[in-house]
Amino acid sequence: METEELLINMGPVHPSTHGVLRFKLRMDGEIIKECTIVLGYLHRGTEKLAEMKTYLQFIPYTDRLDYVSAMPSNYAYVKAVEELADIEVPLRAEYIRVLVMELNRIVNHLVAIGSLLMDLGASTMMMWGFREREKALQLFEMLCGARMTFSYMRIGGVREDLPDGFIPKLKEFIEDMEKRIADYEQLINNNEIFLMRMKGIATISAEEAINYGMTGPTLRGSGVNYDIRRLEPYSIYPDLDFKVCVRSEGDSYARYIVRIDEMRESLHILRQLIDNMPESSIIATQKYGIIPMTGAPYTAQTYFPRIFTPPAGEVYSRIEAPKGELGFYIVSDGTTKPYRIKIRSPSFCNLAAIPQLVRGLKIPDLIAAFGSIDVVLGDVDR
Amino acid sequence: MNPAEELKQALPGSVMSTGMQVDKPLAVIKKEELLAAAAKVKEMGFDHLSVITGIDYTDRFEVIYNLFSYKKKENLVLKVILDHNNPEVDSLTSLWKGANWLERETYDLVGIKFAGHPNLVRILLPEGWNGHPLRKDYDMDTEQFVTIGEDGEDIVSTDGSNLLRRK
Repeated sequence: METEELLINMGPVHPSTHGVLRFKLRMDGEIIKECTIVLGYLHRGTEKLAEMKTYLQFIPYTDRLDYVSAMPSNYAYVKAVEELADIEVPLRAEYIRVLVMELNRIVNHLVAIGSLLMDLGASTMMMWGFREREKALQLFEMLCGARMTFSYMRIGGVREDLPDGFIPKLKEFIEDMEKRIADYEQLINNNEIFLMRMKGIATISAEEAINYGMTGPTLRGSGVNYDIRRLEPYSIYPDLDFKVCVRSEGDSYARYIVRIDEMRESLHILRQLIDNMPESSIIATQKYGIIPMTGAPYTAQTYFPRIFTPPAGEVYSRIEAPKGELGFYIVSDGTTKPYRIKIRSPSFCNLAAIPQLVRGLKIPDLIAAFGSIDVVLGDVDR
Repeated sequence: MNPAEELKQALPGSVMSTGMQVDKPLAVIKKEELLAAAAKVKEMGFDHLSVITGIDYTDRFEVIYNLFSYKKKENLVLKVILDHNNPEVDSLTSLWKGANWLERETYDLVGIKFAGHPNLVRILLPEGWNGHPLRKDYDMDTEQFVTIGEDGEDIVSTDGSNLLRRK
């Protein structure tokens, strides 16, 4: 029997594309022959805007890259600038930074798993995930007044110290979260429909995944024992005890399990941070020796110069963001504005593998595979 | 011996100079030899191509490849310097599939051509966009309007003639 090929357009506005993304699918019956991705609908020219902003002014723009987990984006940028200018960050600031980043990792994975399950037609996890996420967002709100676009990090430290009552609330969250993760596993892990949709679907081998430049839970789901927090330790990660979660199957299910395991590890890290939180300043001062006005509160605003000039040079600095390797390539020409900033976003590189992943699968599998990669379009299009 | 020196020893003809980029070894490669040097680098175990960055220095272009080896846990930075008039360098898509989109992005935003790329078209901006935004001489005062045509193709104009609401 002869069949005719059919061209199907999916998106740009589609609930399963997690933003605005377009798939052009060449179908043979129900089977995807070829998948072409059209992106750029959310392109805001962040890299060009960076050339017109001072180093400090660019921080809010990093929030808007991966808006589900803005803290790591903040951190990746300030870390790159700190490496460029050789600024030493006080220990307490580093502890607070890691604390908020790990909290953000949990938030990110809750959204990732929630929307993955939603795409598969199970709305319970979305509700549950957002219920816990709300508590974490309230913690962020306590900390910096914002729920998603934090702009909390500063070059050399963080904006404000932990407010009163933050740690007890965080402890509550951790305790609650521990039980909730068990709930999620009970709900999802052995669900027959979920397993049928996820197991053995969109499998990618370790070699292929590396070749595509995939990183984060997607690469660890393919059995590569990699984590930048371990390979190129930054901040205080060398002092922390955590496990790198790896699964060998390389399918959608493995990527989901890695995320669940990582949430537990993040909780473990959070507990260690609470126990060992040191007392020190929260922003680097030694390099600039700026004396704040008498009686001025001890914050980043009073200590850090607004116009900041790093020495000329180039740096590529990367971190393990919840979605994978997030890197900033910064070129400074010794003026107050960066000459060029290039953002290496994990979503962009992970998304590039989708056409290969879904060849020969059906459209519902594309949705499952896409959900399991965990892409945020703000991060893809920049 | 760091990997950049190692590469220089293996391919003395194609490495122009070596150095450090903060804490990462850096090798400046002759642009004609990039593909051969990259193949050698991949053989040396640098299996992860992190990022490709194109930079406009007004008198020249530089393309920078940040590589990492999962086995050796080492970094290596490759750099090629291109003419400003006709920036073109060999594509690395045959070595890393991940280079495909990264090169398309560099072409789209910086305007560097990658010879041998299977599908060198714009990726973030619509087809037909005028100029490459990350060039320093990019005209930011001209507005450009984008709409989608009957068959889903992009239509770009500078006078708004493609908009239903005429400008």
